[in-house]
Order: sequence, then C-alpha cells, then structure tokens
Amino acid sequence: MMSEQNFIYAIFAMCGVMLAVKVIPILFCKEKIKNTFIKSFLEYIPFAVLTSMTIPEIFHSTSSVVSATIGFVVAIVLAYIGQSLVIVALSTTLVVFIAEQIMHMMNIL
Amino acid sequence: MENCTSVIKPKGFMKGFKDGIPIALGYIPISIACAISAIKAGLSFGVSELLGAALFTGTGQQAAINLLKGGETAIIMYAITLFVINCRYMLFAISIAQRFEKGMKLWQKILFGILNTDEIFGFAMKEKGTLSPSYLLGLGTSPYIGFFVGTTVGSLVTDLLPASISSALGIILFAMFIAIIVPAAKESKSARGVIFIALALSVVMECVPTIKVYLDASWIIIICAIATSLIGAWLFPIKEEGGK
Repeated sequence: MMSEQNFIYAIFAMCGVMLAVKVIPILFCKEKIKNTFIKSFLEYIPFAVLTSMTIPEIFHSTSSVVSATIGFVVAIVLAYIGQSLVIVALSTTLVVFIAEQIMHMMNIL
Repeated sequence: MENCTSVIKPKGFMKGFKDGIPIALGYIPISIACAISAIKAGLSFGVSELLGAALFTGTGQQAAINLLKGGETAIIMYAITLFVINCRYMLFAISIAQRFEKGMKLWQKILFGILNTDEIFGFAMKEKGTLSPSYLLGLGTSPYIGFFVGTTVGSLVTDLLPASISSALGIILFAMFIAIIVPAAKESKSARGVIFIALALSVVMECVPTIKVYLDASWIIIICAIATSLIGAWLFPIKEEGGK
C-alpha cells in the first residue's frame, strides 16, 4: 500500500482534476455542446462507471458471497419499486446484517 | 445597480440552503460509508477528512480508496480515474452555465462549480428561469455541510463499530449505486442498453483470467466505462435536448 504522505499528494491531484472538470467549463464554455456523439458519450458515462464499479465488486463487499447476493437482490427490488436512494442503501445494509446474523447462528459463516 | 449580484442576498441564499437540505440528508449515509471504507483502508482521521472535503464525491472517493487498497499506484492513475468518473461534470457545467443570472461574478461561478454535484445539478435544472448566485450557492452549501458531517461521523465511528455491522456496511455504497442505476434503466431504453453493455463487459473482464494479470481493477473500470459509453453513443445517440 502507498504511504499516507503519497496518498495526500494523490488527494491534491484528484482535487485538481475535480476543479478542472467542474469549474473550467463553467468559465469558458458559452456554447452548448452540439455534437450528438459527445453529448451521448458524456450522458452515458455515469451509468457505465457505476455499473462496472458495482459488478462484480458488490459480491465481495461483505463477509460472504451469500449475504452479498441477498443484498444485491434486495437493492435491485427496492430500487425497481421506486424507493429512494437512502431507503435502498439503508434497507440493503440492514438485510445483509440480518442475513449474516442468521448465517452465524447456523454456523455457516 | 452594478453590485446587485456581487453580494450574496440572505433571502436567496436561505431558499437555496433549504432546498439543499434533502440532498444533504441523502449525503450523510453515503459520506459515512465512504469515510468508514477510508479508515478501514488504513487512512488516519485527518487524511480521511481531507479526502472527503477535497473531493466531495462518493463515487470518486470510493474509486480512490479502491486504488489505495490495490497497492502502489502512480498518482497519475488517481488523476485519470477521477477524470473518467467525473468528466460528465463538464456537461453539467456547460448546461447549467446557460441558466446563470447575467452579471454573476467570477468567484461565484468558481465556488458554485466546486459545490456542484449530480443531485444539485438535477435540482437546479428543475427550477424555472435564470438562477441567482445567492440561490445557487445556498443550494450547494447545505449538501457540502451534510457530506462533511457524514465524513466526520464515519471517520470517528469506524474503530468503534463491531465487525458484524462493518461487514454489512460494506455493501451500502453498492446499494446506492444500484439505486441510481435501476430507476434510469427502468425509465429509458438507451440507459438500459448502456447498463447492459457495461454489465456484459464487466463480466467478461472478470471471467477472462489473463485480463486481470495485466490490468488492475481500476483500469478495468475505466476501460469498461469508456468502451460502454462509446458503444452507447454510437448505438443510441441522444436526439433532442433532454431526450433519452
């Protein structure tokens, strides 16, 4: 693992990148982006990033693949029926917690 | 009248601040979870606070922590990762800049740019007409406070949490990502297509063992995201303004 000192430099670098993408276009770009391809590309980036960050990493995010899979399904169902972000996040965590307690009791965790 | 926008008007600022409170409340669990994973990755309290305050983004922070856990990583890699994850802000910044009140000062634009997030952008764009600097800065301030409070709480409680709770909390950020992805997939065919492509690529990358020998997880995410968005932009170009 990187030393904390170096990680602090990395934080400054990342902060600089954030400022560049968030501030510079506000100051200099008066024109709307007309190019459909670039517009679509930028529009899709968040979904693509979030999907690739979640899969497959979510399955290794708890103590067991089983509890993580249960959480994964619960999150999808809750999000699908239109629950808010906070509700989805907290309920999923709670379900995983309960599932892991049950697994402990059954001695399978 | 020259200085009508050069000062922050308390009334407009407070209206924005209040409108930002629901966003702030939503950020608290996210930032708590981020701070917990930062501390668990071995960062000290101060560095975890700095990370939260300097980046003000859950997704970016999680990606940074993944890189940190992945081993010795060049600083340029952190910068590239954050750029890819956040390049969508260029789009947000450009479209919201068209709604700024005339005469908005440079420092107000810079400050709003720093405070801007997906949720703030979404909220501001729902408002009609031009947006006053006082309102926008108010709208950005309460979520930032919420995020900072969450970061602090998360950084402080990590060591006190029993292993059972901290294991369950491992999933919270991913649940949040799902809560963002699924409604978009439900609503729009093209988002559904893009998510499916990303999913397929991720699974392929995960299943082909040689890929992981040469590329670490953050490169895989970046490559998947860029490839997916390129394919998406090619297959499902967005036609009119706001259309999906």
